[in-house]
Amino acid sequence: MPSGVEMSMELKEQSRSGEDVFIERFEDLIGPNTNGSESEWTLNRRNAIQVFAQNGFPNKKSESYKYTPVTKWLQSQLKNGMHTAAGSSVQSGNLKNEALPTPLLDESEVRGEPSSLENMKGLHVHATNGLIRGSLSEALPTGLIICSFKQALVDHPKLLSEYLTKAVVLERDPFAALASAFAEDGILIFVPAGLEVEKAIVIHHDALFSNSLIQARLLVVAEEGTKVNVIEHFPFLDAGSSFENRVAEVFAGKGARVDHVLVMERNDQTLFVNSLFVHQDANSFFRTNTVTLGGGLVRHNLNFLPDAEECETHLHGLYVAKGTAHVDNHTLVDHAKPNCFSNEIFKGIVTNQAVGVFNGKVLVRQDAQKTNAYQSSKCIVLDRGARTYAKPELEIYADDVKCSHGATTGELDEDALFYLRARGIHPDAAKLMLLEAFAKDIIGLIDFDEVRNYLYQRLHGLLTVTK
Amino acid sequence: MLEIKNLHVSIEEDGTEILKGLNLKVGSGEVHAIMGPNGSGKSTLASVLAGKDGYEVTNGTVAFCGDDLLELAADERAREGLFLAFQYPIELPGVSMSNFLKQAVQSVREHQGKEALTSGALLQMMKEKAALVHLDPALKSRSVNEGFSGGEKKRNEIFQLAMLEPKFAILDETDSGLDIDALRIVADGVNHLRSPERSFLLITHYQRLLDYIVPDFVHVLMNGRIVMTGGKELALELEEKGYDWIKDETTQLA
Repeated sequence: MPSGVEMSMELKEQSRSGEDVFIERFEDLIGPNTNGSESEWTLNRRNAIQVFAQNGFPNKKSESYKYTPVTKWLQSQLKNGMHTAAGSSVQSGNLKNEALPTPLLDESEVRGEPSSLENMKGLHVHATNGLIRGSLSEALPTGLIICSFKQALVDHPKLLSEYLTKAVVLERDPFAALASAFAEDGILIFVPAGLEVEKAIVIHHDALFSNSLIQARLLVVAEEGTKVNVIEHFPFLDAGSSFENRVAEVFAGKGARVDHVLVMERNDQTLFVNSLFVHQDANSFFRTNTVTLGGGLVRHNLNFLPDAEECETHLHGLYVAKGTAHVDNHTLVDHAKPNCFSNEIFKGIVTNQAVGVFNGKVLVRQDAQKTNAYQSSKCIVLDRGARTYAKPELEIYADDVKCSHGATTGELDEDALFYLRARGIHPDAAKLMLLEAFAKDIIGLIDFDEVRNYLYQRLHGLLTVTK
Repeated sequence: MLEIKNLHVSIEEDGTEILKGLNLKVGSGEVHAIMGPNGSGKSTLASVLAGKDGYEVTNGTVAFCGDDLLELAADERAREGLFLAFQYPIELPGVSMSNFLKQAVQSVREHQGKEALTSGALLQMMKEKAALVHLDPALKSRSVNEGFSGGEKKRNEIFQLAMLEPKFAILDETDSGLDIDALRIVADGVNHLRSPERSFLLITHYQRLLDYIVPDFVHVLMNGRIVMTGGKELALELEEKGYDWIKDETTQLA
């Protein structure tokens, strides 16, 4: 194996593609399949790397990454000596003679300000590099499982083989395939039939290495008639230019209600790819609110498959992109069955030289009669240097459906600003009021006071310095 | 209090001249009404005085309490004590009335060297002033003007006027779209706010408002200029005869 230095030289010479680096690394990590008695999970991982090898990273011709140069970012991070071997597991860092990733001096240093989300009522899970760290904050309700995949492999092997990799569509996104291959562990949340989990499950994601690559997995299984709230927080980390690539799979069983919130606040050198794949059974309700307030290049791939009748799917999203940040929300709602409802509302504020991208695809298959699918994307551009791209795509094969989409991009409403100023309010304060009002629509849809208040505070801070 | 001399204003976008040498002097405590046919420049005058973008002052001066008003930004004018009641109040979804009023009142008070109001005092003030124009106090938790009826919007303008206690208030067609009861409420509110230190400029199409808010002076604005000034009787005469006779008279003079 080449050392980190050789590896980057080779990349510069372009004698090998970025893909090869990962494929070789994977072989190093897993080794050859010699005895043929590997676990289903390992076989899945081998399959994932094969799919990745076939498709490769997105290139200039890849329509779905047209506005978002993830590959370019990743390659420059590799050139600058990002540690590909850090993987999802600390132990795999000392492969061969590659330099170890730089540990951040201590845990308190890597974390930003302790967020008030730490104090909210809930079942708190702390995860480092995608792995559960320490024990859970309190005893879980009977039947609820929150554990690592490795633990699940021992205690609940059937669960993993029944659900893992069953929602993710590896062919759809190379990053999802990559994370599925590399993640050596993951977090499993299992809610057994009929259980309504009263407290929110709050996952605090941090990382302990700077300039490292993290590939992580999350699997949420909510069986029939359950209720569960999952809140994920990726707080600001002073962790250099890291690449976090994670794939999350969610199964909402019959009549289940699953509510998800993701708050992304990493530093401006972080490359973050979040792939969410949701599978919904009959009469289920799924809602996600994806709030992006930080990160350098952030790509959310949000995929929904309401795979039975009477499903309800809500996609809410808010992003604030400043500096040179680039935030892309890429959504797909695949209506396969009749009588389902989906509603998508994204709002963005971009300023400085930042870029905001929204791509919303709604696919209504021939069987999916009586589908109601709505989509709206609104973006406020505060600076001439900032850019936005919005691409709604409706692909409808059924003939009895209601679908609509709307995408608007514009500056702050001059008349509204004037009205506030005519009442003596300073221009900066007036702008802030209007921006907060704009964002409130999305944040207001979150059920938890603590999360809403935290986000209002963060937003206030972010927008106060956004001129 | 306010002195406008030879004011010429064009629309920035296409250079169309709207005000063509307007002169007007409003003393402390006086109520002036400006009437005039459509397109005569009434609303432009209101907008220019309030500092709205999109207009270019090509000539003339406006002195407000001795200062050059045109040098000030819209928000500075408001803090100096100038108030515009909008003809079409803007809806601000997501901005609550209470936050809006708090920000406005405190900005104005701070600038005028007054003490900041406590939340309790502010609430009390809101309650009192809302009663003045028969507005439901529950509106404080609603978004500014969102879902307000036409009449509520206009009463909300007068409510804000009462909260901000300006020296000079411009009412831009506040009577338009009001039924007779709402008109009376608005007028009562304004009359209550009249004082020797506060002047009003009422911009209106109809004499009706002036039955309730009796002006000291009535001006006729035509083609960008004030062509006639009189007492409150002038409004009645206009109501009776329309504007054509003035047109004839002024062309004869010219």
